[in-house]
Amino acid sequence: MGDGFALDLTLDEAHILINLVEQLLELLGDSNFEHHYSNDDPLAQLMGLGAEVPTPEDPVLLRLLPNAYADPEASADFRRYTEPTLRRHKSEVLRSIRTELALIVDEIGADQLSNGGRVEELDGDIWLVALNDLRLALSVRLNIEADSFDTFELLPDEDPQKAVYAVYFWLGWLQENLLAAMIS
Amino acid sequence: MSTMTDVDLSLDQLLDRPWVTVVWDDPVNLMTYVTYVFIKLFEFTPEHAHELMMQVHNEGRAAVTTGSREEMERDVQRLHEHGLWATLQRDDKM
Repeated sequence: MGDGFALDLTLDEAHILINLVEQLLELLGDSNFEHHYSNDDPLAQLMGLGAEVPTPEDPVLLRLLPNAYADPEASADFRRYTEPTLRRHKSEVLRSIRTELALIVDEIGADQLSNGGRVEELDGDIWLVALNDLRLALSVRLNIEADSFDTFELLPDEDPQKAVYAVYFWLGWLQENLLAAMIS
Repeated sequence: MSTMTDVDLSLDQLLDRPWVTVVWDDPVNLMTYVTYVFIKLFEFTPEHAHELMMQVHNEGRAAVTTGSREEMERDVQRLHEHGLWATLQRDDKM
C-alpha cells in the first residue's frame, strides 16, 4: 500500500465530489476549466450556485475566508494583504483533487462494465483540507448547527435538503475515515 | 520590594503585551480534525492538542498560540487555510 492512501469511489460518488469541487472553485473565482456539470444538473443546485457571479458577501466565502480580527478596520487590512494568497491556496488544494477525480470519472466512463474506481496514493493532508472546505461550504447552505443530525433525519425523504444533508454527512464520514487511516 | 527599574520594566511589558491566536468552536469541524490541525501546524504533543481542542469544544474558544502580532497573523492565516475559525487579539482581552 505504500505511504499513500487509497479511496474507492462509485461513479455516483466520484460525480458528486467532482461537481462540488468545481462549484467551490467557481465560487472562489477560479473557473478556468471544463466543468463536469451543467447548470440543469440537479447536483449543480447543491451549493446553490447556478450561473451566479460570486460576491464577497456570500456567506460561504465568508466562512472559508473569515475575518481575522473583531475590529472591522484591522480585519479589512489583513484581508487586503492575505486574502488573495488564502484564496489561491484553497484553489490549488481543490484543483489537485479535481485532477485525481477527473481521472477516475473518465476511467469509469470509458469502461461500460465498471461502476467504480480508486484514487491511488492520495495525499492525505490535501484531501483532508479539501473535504473540510467542501463540508464548510455545504454547512453554510444547510445552516448546520450542533443538533442538525436529528433535524435532518426527521425530514421526509422527498425533501431536497435531506439529500444535500446526506452528501454533507457522507463527506464527514470520508474525512473521519481518512484521518483514522492517517493517524493509525 | 520594588525599585523604579522594576516598575519601568513591568510597564514596558504591559505596553508590549503579546498577541494571541484564538480558535472558535463551530458545529462543522470534526474534533479529530481540529486536534490533527493543531499537531500539524504547531507541533503540539497529541495530549496538548487534544486538551486545546476540548477547550474549544467546551468553552467555545481557546487561545492556541502567543507571540508577536506578525507571528499570530501567520498562525491565523494557516488555520484559515485548514478551515478553522481563528482570530487574533491582544492577550488582555481573553
